Amino acid sequence: MLYLQVLINGILLGGLYSCIAVGFSLVWGVLNIINIMHGSLIILGAYAAYFAFTLLGINPFVFVPIAGVALFVLGYALQAGVINRVMGAPVLITLTLTFGLNLILENAMIFAFKADYRKVIIDPPLGLIEIGSAFVPRDRLYAMLLALLLVGGLYAVLRTTRIGRAIVAVRMDREAAALMGVNVPRIYAITFGLGALMAGSAGSLMSVIFPISPLTSVAFLGKAFVICVLGGLGSIPGVMVGGIALGVLESFGSLWLGPDYSTTIAFVLLLALLMFRPTGIMGKRGFE
Amino acid sequence: MNASLSAVLRLLLRLAFGAALVAASLTASAQSTILVGAPLPLTGGLAPEGVKLQRGYDLWAEEVNKAGGIAVGKTRMPVKMIYYDYQSNTPRAVQLAEKLITDDKVHFMFSPFGSGATKAASAVSERYGVPTIAPTASSVEVYDQNYKNLFGTYTPNNTLTEPIAEMISKNAPKVRRVAILARNDLYPLALAEEFERSAKSRGFTVAYFEKYAIGTLDHASAVTQIRAAKPDWIIVTGYINDMVLIRKQMSDQNLRAPVLTMINGPAYQEFIDATGPLANNVTSASWWHPAARYTSKDVFKSSENFTQLFRAKYKIEPDFTSAGGAVAGVVLQMAIEAAGTVDRDKVRGALSDGRFPTFFGPIAFGPQGYANSYTPPVFQIQGGKPTVLFPTEIKMADFRLGL
Repeated sequence: MLYLQVLINGILLGGLYSCIAVGFSLVWGVLNIINIMHGSLIILGAYAAYFAFTLLGINPFVFVPIAGVALFVLGYALQAGVINRVMGAPVLITLTLTFGLNLILENAMIFAFKADYRKVIIDPPLGLIEIGSAFVPRDRLYAMLLALLLVGGLYAVLRTTRIGRAIVAVRMDREAAALMGVNVPRIYAITFGLGALMAGSAGSLMSVIFPISPLTSVAFLGKAFVICVLGGLGSIPGVMVGGIALGVLESFGSLWLGPDYSTTIAFVLLLALLMFRPTGIMGKRGFE
Repeated sequence: MNASLSAVLRLLLRLAFGAALVAASLTASAQSTILVGAPLPLTGGLAPEGVKLQRGYDLWAEEVNKAGGIAVGKTRMPVKMIYYDYQSNTPRAVQLAEKLITDDKVHFMFSPFGSGATKAASAVSERYGVPTIAPTASSVEVYDQNYKNLFGTYTPNNTLTEPIAEMISKNAPKVRRVAILARNDLYPLALAEEFERSAKSRGFTVAYFEKYAIGTLDHASAVTQIRAAKPDWIIVTGYINDMVLIRKQMSDQNLRAPVLTMINGPAYQEFIDATGPLANNVTSASWWHPAARYTSKDVFKSSENFTQLFRAKYKIEPDFTSAGGAVAGVVLQMAIEAAGTVDRDKVRGALSDGRFPTFFGPIAFGPQGYANSYTPPVFQIQGGKPTVLFPTEIKMADFRLGL
């Protein structure tokens, strides 16, 4: 039963990890931008959900699409107004730009919301599901299912819609896509907007699970990095597999080696994959 | 051409004269103001604590200056705090401590937040001979270097663990098995080890002792293992974000025990706000509590008055970190007033020999440099409020078992 509980813990955590990482992977895969702001965008979504809950009484699960749309607008504006200007530049330039934007956003959030930790408390609590002597917390379960639904939704958008195909086309060959009439800067802005949408939605879910503060953004960013490398950069099924694999590995790693090593495991894994299988578990590039 | 040249020269002369006047007035003000330097973690992981500490410093400096300044011999000298943000990065705190002493020429220092950063920065103040008050360092390991300039206002960690262990031993005879989960960080780990000693010395069985890494985002596996150890008393050490997450994840796995002790976290209102009903019956201890009823000869006059002034300025309840910031100022002020000078050697002597009746409690420093003169309160969250259980003089309710 101990192992069942540890497995449940890992899968629940892994589902949330997938949602944290998918927007980051999309932006990295399509735009070749390592978006250092991604963690802060998650936190911004979490704060939006927190205030919507405390001031307006909107349940964070219901608020997910609203946070997503709001962050989409912000992401679109950032890419169209700022990041598109350096899109042809080497990756270090875009990295530095998102690093700078992240500093601004993080400090603006510290100024606006203070650094205190806050958390959405759903009252009465959603409770637990008992499986033998193991427990599944309903809030984590719902958050994980919604997270996976979002990730699946994004995959469907990329595969079936006209804009999705255009994003994939830009990902595969920017010049050819432009020759076929795709407005590349607009696709960039939409892609960054979608990345922010996923971050905002993830943030709304995280507000129910984790204590939030502008300072926690770096933890989410670190996980997103590992999951992208684990699952294969730019692959949405890869992100789902990578997220769940990381959650389960951390969970069992913590059981066997002690909780002190659960975060170390993630980075050891990152190094091992970079050395032996740099394409990740799924071993695929792009969204095809 | 000549006329315009002479006009330029006149202007330059005026500017030079003006600059000389400003410089002279600045020098005069520097001589008549006591400069106190404080590196603070205003951003980064320790920012919540850094802000709390700064509130305490600011309130003290404001009250002192309102009263005309610190009495130094026959004159009064205002206080000026100089802050730098070390971004929760200990090496940066050490650099900034040096900058405060060498560039800003502060007279005295308050150390950075927590035991680890205090120990690191104390080497700098010792090298330059600057008396430094440490308002948030309780681990005895900080004071094992025989430094002459470091004065800690917190009593050692065992003054938190011993009364809690004693209380549980007396009030809950069925509690036998203990599980300890500690953040792998200087103070939380030292505190957890102190808890282990206090528990073992009373015959408790420590069935689980594990550390978790700084920045851990999920504690579900640790909670699962604690549940498997079937403890009667769960002890968790760390900082507020860890405490909020662990308390929630304990509830996610229906982990219950007759006693749950968490340090630090429950002393802060944010913990109660972020955990809601789950905060109830969590026991904790801190070096000060608004329920304290000390009368004092300092600028705040009493614990109650400090609480009122703090509430009026910040519209929130003070906690032990903010109070710790203010008492660092109070002790420094009393030592300067006792010495009658800002001479560092004399102030150091006054700090070593003095006994300071403050709103925080009576403070006197032992030979190693940390306070050994008061009893920190033990409390429990009852009905969503921190309720003092010990010491008996300020006890507000009886200890409750169960979660």
